[in-house]
Parts: sequence; C-alpha cells; structure tokens
Amino acid sequence: MHIPDGYLSPSTCATLYAAACASWYAALKRIKRSIGGRTIPLISVFAAFCFVVMMFNIPLPGGTTGHAVGVAVAAIVLGPWASVLALSITITIQALFFGDGGITTLGANCFNMAVVGSFVAYGVYRLIAARSDVSSQRRTIAAAIAGYVAINASALLASVEFGIQPLLFHDSTGTPLYAPYPLRVAIPAMMIGHLTFAGLAEAVLSAGMIAYLQHANVGLLRQSQSASASTSTSRLWWVIAVLMLLTPLGILAAGTAWGEWTARDLANSHASPVIEAASKSQLPPGSVPAGIERLSTIWTAPFPAYAPTFIKLPSDIRCRPCLVSACVRCCRWQAPPFFASAGSRTREPYQLHRENAQPLRASDGESARI
Amino acid sequence: MNLAFELKNVKFDYEGIPAVQGLSMQIAQGERIVLLGANGSGKSTLLRLLDGLCFPTAGSLEFAGRQLTEKSLQNETSAFEFRRRVGLVFQNPDVQLFNPTVFDEVAYGPLQLGWSREEVLRRVDEMLAFMSLANIKDRPPFRLSGGEKKKVALASVLVLDPEVLLLDEPTATLDPRSQSQIVDLIQQWKGTAKTVITATHQLEIVEDIADRLFVLEAGSVIASGTPHEILSNGELLLRANLVHAHRHSHGGVVHSHPHLHGHSHHDHDHEH
Amino acid sequence: MAKALVSERTAAKPGLLQALDPRVRLIGLLVLVISVILCRRLEAIAALWLLAVVIAIASRVSMATLALRVWLLVFVFTGLIAFPAIFLTPGDAILSFANLSASAQGLRTAALLILRVETAATLTTILVLCTPWTHILKSLRNLGVPVEVIAILAMTHRYIFLLVDTASQMFEARQSRAIGRVNTSEQRNLTSRTAGVLLGKSIELSHEVYAAMVSRGFRGEVRLLTDFRMRFRDYCALAIFFCAAGFAVWMGR
Repeated sequence: MHIPDGYLSPSTCATLYAAACASWYAALKRIKRSIGGRTIPLISVFAAFCFVVMMFNIPLPGGTTGHAVGVAVAAIVLGPWASVLALSITITIQALFFGDGGITTLGANCFNMAVVGSFVAYGVYRLIAARSDVSSQRRTIAAAIAGYVAINASALLASVEFGIQPLLFHDSTGTPLYAPYPLRVAIPAMMIGHLTFAGLAEAVLSAGMIAYLQHANVGLLRQSQSASASTSTSRLWWVIAVLMLLTPLGILAAGTAWGEWTARDLANSHASPVIEAASKSQLPPGSVPAGIERLSTIWTAPFPAYAPTFIKLPSDIRCRPCLVSACVRCCRWQAPPFFASAGSRTREPYQLHRENAQPLRASDGESARI
Repeated sequence: MNLAFELKNVKFDYEGIPAVQGLSMQIAQGERIVLLGANGSGKSTLLRLLDGLCFPTAGSLEFAGRQLTEKSLQNETSAFEFRRRVGLVFQNPDVQLFNPTVFDEVAYGPLQLGWSREEVLRRVDEMLAFMSLANIKDRPPFRLSGGEKKKVALASVLVLDPEVLLLDEPTATLDPRSQSQIVDLIQQWKGTAKTVITATHQLEIVEDIADRLFVLEAGSVIASGTPHEILSNGELLLRANLVHAHRHSHGGVVHSHPHLHGHSHHDHDHEH
Repeated sequence: MAKALVSERTAAKPGLLQALDPRVRLIGLLVLVISVILCRRLEAIAALWLLAVVIAIASRVSMATLALRVWLLVFVFTGLIAFPAIFLTPGDAILSFANLSASAQGLRTAALLILRVETAATLTTILVLCTPWTHILKSLRNLGVPVEVIAILAMTHRYIFLLVDTASQMFEARQSRAIGRVNTSEQRNLTSRTAGVLLGKSIELSHEVYAAMVSRGFRGEVRLLTDFRMRFRDYCALAIFFCAAGFAVWMGR
C-alpha cells in the first residue's frame, strides 16, 4: 500500500502532505502535553516494531500469506495520536532508507496508513470493545475487526487517490498523466487484495497480539484503556470525521445541484439539457432572468467551484457538490473542538520504576533479553 | 571521612513485590565496592536507586550528605549536577547505545548537560583516544562487537568524569581479553577519589576490583567484609548462590563442598 | 539490511555529491524529484533521468547497484501495473488483436508512469547511497523538522536492526525445534506469539532506554550536534539544482 513517486499528481501530493502535516503537528502537541520525554523511546521502539511486523509473512487460512501493518496494535496500545507518529516514522524510514514508498507521496502514505488507519482502528476498537473487561474475548474480536477495517479504510483511501488521477490530471489528448486507472478499475483492483489477504493478515495479527497481551501483560492493556471511556459525543465526532474523509467523492457527482446555477450556467446553451433533466423535464427560461443577472456580479469567489485554479476540471462536470460545502462548514466550526476532545485524556501508562522486570513469559520459555 | 552514599533501611517495591528490603549501608568516597549476588538478588535495583532512576518506597538515601528524592532532582541545575557526578553503566549495552554512531553516543551526555560545542568535541575526542575507540567513531552500534559495545558504553559515561561510577555486570558475556581490559581500568582507580560500585556475580574478578564486598540475597545484605573474608567463606557463597556445590564420592562416602577456586583447601579424611 | 552496508561504502567515496553539503544534496535531489512529478512531457522526464544517471556516475555510484536495485525492480513492478493501462485507456487505437486495442494514449500513460517512477526512485536512491543516515537526519533538523522527530527517527532506525535480529533469532529457534510439518493454523499462532513476545520486549526495551537517557542527563529536550558549513561550491550546486529543475518543468509543461 506504499504509493511510490509518480503515481500521484503534485496537487494531490501537496493536499495530502498538508493533511499529514496538520495531523503530525496535532499529534506532537498532544504527546508533549501528556507524557513528555518518555514517549520518545516508546514511539521509537514501537515504530521499529511495526517495521519488523511489516516484514513478517503471516500464514492465512487457505494456504496463502499476507502482510500486516500493525496499525491496530499500535493504536490500541499507544493510543491514536502516538500511533500516528509511530507509523509515520516507520513509513518515513521505509521510504528514505529502503525505497519502499515515494518521498513526494510520503504525506499521502502517512495520511492513509498512519493517520486514517490509526484513528479508524482505534475508533472501531473502542466502539466494539466498549466497556468490556480487559481480558475478555470481546476485546480480541474487537481488535481483529479494528485491524481489518483500518487496513481496508487505508486501502480505500489510497485507491480513491489513484482513481481520481486520470479524471483530474490528463493532458489535452486525454492521456492520464499519473496513475492511469479510473475509480471503477482502481477501487476493485486495490480492494480485492486488501479485503482478502491483507485485511485478514491484519485481523489475525491484531487478534493474536491482543490475546497475547491479555495473557502475558494485562497491565499494559489496562493502562492504555485507563483513558476515559468514549462518550457519546466523541462517537459523533468519529462519524463526522468519516464523513469528512468521504467528501472528496462529491467531486465526482455527475450532474448539477438543483437551483445552484449561476447566470452563466443559465445563459449556456450546453447546460440547458442538464438543467431540464434535473428539473423534471421543465425547460429553463430562454434568457437569464434580469434579477439573477443583476445580482450575479456582486461577489466573485476566489475558489469558484471549490477548486483552486491549478486543478483543471473536465468541463462537462460542474462541481458544486453539496457534501463538499457541508464539509467546508464542518471543518470551519467543528474541527478545533473535535481535535481537542478526541485526545484530552491524560495518561501515565509508563512508569520508570521497573527493575528486574520479569521477562514476559513466552509459552515456550524464551526469555533472552535483547 | 566523606560519605558518597548513605542508605538507611531502604525499601523498594516493584508492583507489590519487594526488590530491596531494609537495606542499610555506608559507602565512603574513593572506596571500591562490589555488590555480590546472584540474578534477582536486588543488586541491579540497588544500582538504579543509587543513580536516582527510581526512588525508595521507604527509608532514606543520601548522596554526598543530601537526600536523594524525586523532588530533589526536579530542579534542572541540581539534576544536571547529580547526573554529572554519578554515572551508571547498564548491564545490557544495547540499551545504552541508542545513538546512531559511536561518536554521537559518547557526545550525548555532554550535550545533554549543556556543555559548549568546542568542549564537547574536545572531551569526546579525548575519551575516544583514551579508550582506543577513535577508529570506529563513525560506526553504528549494530556493527560493533560485544566488547566494543561495552567499551563505548563505558566511554559514554566516563566522558562526564563522574565522581561515582556504578557498573552493572561490566564483564558479563565478554571474552577474556575484553574482560581483563575492563578490570584493568577499574584497578586504575584504586586510591583515587573515584568511588566505584560494581555489581557482579563473577567471583574471579572480585579480588582485583574491590576494597569491600557486600553479599546480597533476595534484596537484603547478608554479609559484608573484605574480599578475602567473604571469598573464603564457602558456606556463605553457597547460600547466596554464587558457587555451586561440588560433590564427589569415594567408596560409598559422598563429600560435598562449595566449589571455590584457590580460596580454600579441602582436607578430608576418608576411610576406604 | 545489506543496503545499509552499501550506503557506507558509497558515501565514503570521493564523488560529486559526496563533496557537497548534505543539506544541499537533500534539497537539490528533492527539488529534482518534485520537478519529475511536475513535468508533463516524456522528453523532459527522460532528460531528468539522464541527469540523474550523470550525477550517479560522477558520484561513483555503482551502475550495477542502480540497475539491479532500482531500474529492474521498478520496471518489473510498475510495468506490471501499467501494462493493462495500454489497453484500458480510451483513445486513438494504434494496434489491435483479439478484442483488445492498444491506444496511443495508453502507451504514453504507461511510459509516463514508468519513467516517472524510475527517475524519482533513481534520484532518491542516489541520495541515500551517497549520504550517511546521520547526515540525512541532521540536514532534516537544519531544515526545520522538530528535534523530537529527529530523535525518534534516529532511535527507530537504530532499533530496527536490533529487533530484526531478535525476531530472526526467535524464528530460527522455533524452526530448530519443529519436527515434521507445521500446519497453517499452528504457524499462524506461532507468528502471532512471536510478534507478541517481540512487542513485549520492545516495550521493555523502551523503558530501559528511557532510563539510560535520563541517567545521562535527558530531561525531555533533545540536543544535537550539527556541524555543517556551507561553502561557495555548495551555493553554486544549489543554484544549479534549482535551475535544472526549473528548466525541466518549463520544458515539460
């Protein structure tokens, strides 16, 4: 799922970098506030751990194997914000040092896997595990489902990013400039592999590790759950967050939003059939009504059609998706409280006073310390 | 006599399990002490208590006449002063080598304590030369051998020139040559103002590096004295799980005695 | 892991890139990668690829390494992904057999994709081969990345090798104890348990490392030693990088 350089256009990369940077900034602020210097070695080691996990080949039912990411485990044990950082670090090292994933697409990869993956995993886990006992089987199942959903959410986002490339970025002859497959090809192509192998691998790994922790180090799970139980308002924020993430799909809605035409649209002869079709076969007026004409020049928006000018949109799709406008309003008013409430618990999970800590007893007697 | 450390009835519990129980001891400046004990006897915990990495749940611990508590280390100046004056070399060098290269590792302590750039560079180069590590100063830790790692770990603590050096199993897992190098180093400090407290279970090196011994078992001191006194006390060593019992039989009679090296002769009369 | 070794060897050679300040290398090559993404014409991207090869040769990077590690791999993987696009992209058909027709647009898009990925990967690989990891980190610090992130990056990189070793030892230990075939569900259990043990050790390790850091004076603030100085040739090189990138983008618009 690591997207290499060259598959995404500059504007897509820039947008996703912006989203990733905002998340990193928020995560750093939050981490500094809650635990301080202790988190540095913890996140580092977890990031190294996720790196190693991504190298494992997990045997799956049916004789195949898959690769997991470890995002659910990280989100459950560390919490979503620290998990964002840990996974972003892993992805950065993979890109810089091992050539897995591109540099211009680092923002995209981090956003897909580290940010969206962590929050989806955490949200699903809390939703399903709710207030059940830390060592109950429900938690294991919750972890499995969380991992499965998170991986597929990341994959879906990546496939959407791929799929909108030929739509938005092609040259005058129609040649796609970046990823060449439209949504109807990109989404199934990516999702099939993830709905089966990768998703299963992640589910197996997440369940296995949470079960192991329940058996060998319940204290760790308890500490990460000592954060306040999710309230009904934070669930609402999760729902809104998911909606926000899905809003770019609105760009692809064909046709127009009824009643939102400008004077230019009404004067455009090509637009008449579209308007007629949207208006229960009622023909639009032959010429622009005088009132609309007069008031249409009062204000010129800097971003007409919700797109900066460097994104050249195919001219036969008018971009006034209602969802996008809802998204913008949502972002303006609700983003700050959302980010504030989602992580406002304090945690002190990791004490320094550990000495002769009993090596975690693996069931086959491994106790070699590293 | 200046006391480096004074412990009065120190107790430390870890998650309800007592790791150190009612420990009292006095360590003078310039002494070379060895804490002798098997794994799990509490010697590593004690070293951490002495380094201010964890604090007693009961009792008092004083360093250079002042109480060592969490609060006393909260102030930056006093914390930095303490960290410079007391240095701990961990048992597992991988834990202590967390920087990308050997040079960075040795420079870490001075940088953290806020020394100037020139001072840091000068001292690090000196220390690397002193420990013969200059030719590997740009190497990353995963490319070092066990002996090299231990030397780098030691160098990274010595660069601060601490008054008190705490060593946790410094020669464990080392080959004989590296082991003797470390022992030589510790011997160099005999008679200087440096206080050296070593925790080990290896009896062979103890005589060379100790002026005084404490034997620990299950978090308490069960004996203390000079190396000669302790090392010739076979029963004590057996009890503390520092030696094994050697059994041999002659004509139906089984003799059992602690397996010591050159510290006691076992005369026994036996009849055939 | 072998990649790490190659990097140190190449980074020590006296080449073009090695003579430049690491920050200039980082910015310069990144700017070129960005221009690869901005170009819209095959010819411009091809020119950038040639430039990358020239830089590689001047920096004593082994062509064999590049060819095997980058060019071949990218060609195979990206080629596989891009191949269907030749037939699926609508446009002017130039070749048809059976029900499939290859379009000119399809060929162009596949070529664009492959060439872009090749060039970007070449540039990134050259950067990593010619620059020691610590220099990359310190350059990033100089360019404004927060110091905590640098500390985490450095520590993660260092501990990846340790954890990989531990994990492979654990797997080997299991292999040597296994008698006969192990069925998949047992293997699955084994893998999750190995992962679990590894996780436990990782967390244990992080506590110990924190203690080691505190023991040497860490109080939450990371301090690094950076000692890069820009010289005249560094500024020149930087200017050249920007000009080359700008020219390519302009030509390829």
